[in-house]
Amino acid sequence: MKEKLTNIWRKLTWSWSPRSEREASESVIKNFWLHWFPSRISLRSLGWSYSLWLGTIAACLFIILAITGLLLLYFYIPSVRSAYWSIKDLENVVVFGSLLRAQHRWAAELMVAVVFIHLMRVFFTASYRDQRVWNWYIGIGLLVITLFLSFTGYILPWDQLAYWALTIGMSIASEIPFLGKSISFLLAGGNVLGQNSLLRFFVLHNFFLPAMLLFLFALHMWRIRKDGGLTSMDRLIRETQLKETPVSPTKSYSLLGVTEGTTIQVTTTQVLDERNSVRSSPHLLRRIAVVFLITTIFTLGLALLSPAPLEEPANPSVTPIPAKAPWYFLWLQELIAITTIKIGKITISGGLIGGILVPGFLFLLAILWPFLDRSPKEAIGVWFHKKRRIQNSVFILICVVIIVLIIIGLYLRGPYWKFFWPWQPWPEIPAQF
Amino acid sequence: MKENERKITRRFFFGVLGKTSIIVALLAEAIGAIKAFIPKVLYEPPSKFKIGKPEDIPEGITFLPQHRLYIFRNNDDFHAISAVCTHLKCIVDWKPDQREFYCPCHGSIFSQAGINLTGPAPKPLPWYPLSLAPDGNLVIDSSKQVKPDYKYSL
Repeated sequence: MKEKLTNIWRKLTWSWSPRSEREASESVIKNFWLHWFPSRISLRSLGWSYSLWLGTIAACLFIILAITGLLLLYFYIPSVRSAYWSIKDLENVVVFGSLLRAQHRWAAELMVAVVFIHLMRVFFTASYRDQRVWNWYIGIGLLVITLFLSFTGYILPWDQLAYWALTIGMSIASEIPFLGKSISFLLAGGNVLGQNSLLRFFVLHNFFLPAMLLFLFALHMWRIRKDGGLTSMDRLIRETQLKETPVSPTKSYSLLGVTEGTTIQVTTTQVLDERNSVRSSPHLLRRIAVVFLITTIFTLGLALLSPAPLEEPANPSVTPIPAKAPWYFLWLQELIAITTIKIGKITISGGLIGGILVPGFLFLLAILWPFLDRSPKEAIGVWFHKKRRIQNSVFILICVVIIVLIIIGLYLRGPYWKFFWPWQPWPEIPAQF
Repeated sequence: MKENERKITRRFFFGVLGKTSIIVALLAEAIGAIKAFIPKVLYEPPSKFKIGKPEDIPEGITFLPQHRLYIFRNNDDFHAISAVCTHLKCIVDWKPDQREFYCPCHGSIFSQAGINLTGPAPKPLPWYPLSLAPDGNLVIDSSKQVKPDYKYSL
């Protein structure tokens, strides 16, 4: 009986069973579920300290978001009249509904943070250069989609936060030169926020953005393999000081899963052996399972400690005082509030500068950076290489400015966006209804 | 000229015709789909609306939440100022003590006449023209703007 079950399990998971070490390697490549992993993985890539496993954590968070989101879909009604009350039901009536929503929200916030820290890791280890430029671009695309996903996500409860975040978001969109008005009209489905807007953002949040994310994720994974794995491999190969060998016309590169002539594994002799690497199955798979488990426990723990907030129902006549965006957009809100400038008689709205031009400039900078980078190849795969001191400093400065703006927005801004020290009491504002 | 020397062969011609019709058909579909997303009818509040009888409007400054504007009354003189901030469309809040409008979102401050004093707001709050409907109700036309010295006198 047990043998029968084992056989069925094997048929389902292994299209082909290995009988030797070599066949075991081949089996990873031949297996449908595992073919995107290398057959062997270097101990350095497997280690916790090099990559910090941030990409894997982000992917695990996405899986958690997909599952909790799918369940939430059964309880949510995308209508201006019912949306808020369906969330209220979810919080107060549905069994474990509040926990489900809290886990979705925590996973979403963590995903924004983890994807950004992943970007920082890639920057500090110079892992965006040469053939990896495309994966850097795909990664930036994934960050942008993650941000849009969280923005469209907090529109859905149609509470005060949702309504005013959407109001501000649409006003910023309409500041885009020339096309702005049409873009915000098309996104919101009218001049006034209402049913059209909610439904459009609902579909974006539940279909288009996740579909785009999945597509880019697949490309991201594919390119990691094509580009020669993590940059820790580049360092390993450099340190074993192998002579470069020309591309061999008779050598089969397909087993490595890399493209001919593009990566360091191709131009050097194979370096992975018993001493510095292990088989992906089970070692890599086990570690991915551990990361997934920890991520799940962590989000669940946070969800148990703190439920997702819900403000009053959307009220177009009353703006909450103060109206604050979620923390990951607060730096933009702070910029928007302080960047209106006057040149003679022309006034340029902060919505254009802080909402469009500054983020646009940062995006452009990220696109151009691989070409501005003049550091030597030795820097690839090394954390904080000393030849990259200046560019790392510039990058850290940008990150620090963003974090400081977030802290100012989070802790030092009170009613009417006035500056308050954390120990200063806010003036009492009578509630309006 | 021999037949096989012709540049445009029958095969080539029908090839181009086929590909072009596929592209044209897909484009037409795409344009149709995009057009569906531009609403033809907007179920939005009208830009011209009645706000009630002049005698029912209290002296001083009153916020009309439904229309998102402030109505000013000084005996028989009326004027109306939009409550929507010119920065990013939050609703400004009248502070009777300071006699100024405060925006809760990004801290813009407007004078009683709607002039943007400080903060990120790029423009003054718009003033709307008033008129009297035959049934005696005051009417505001928010699609038009008037200068900040405008007054509607009964």
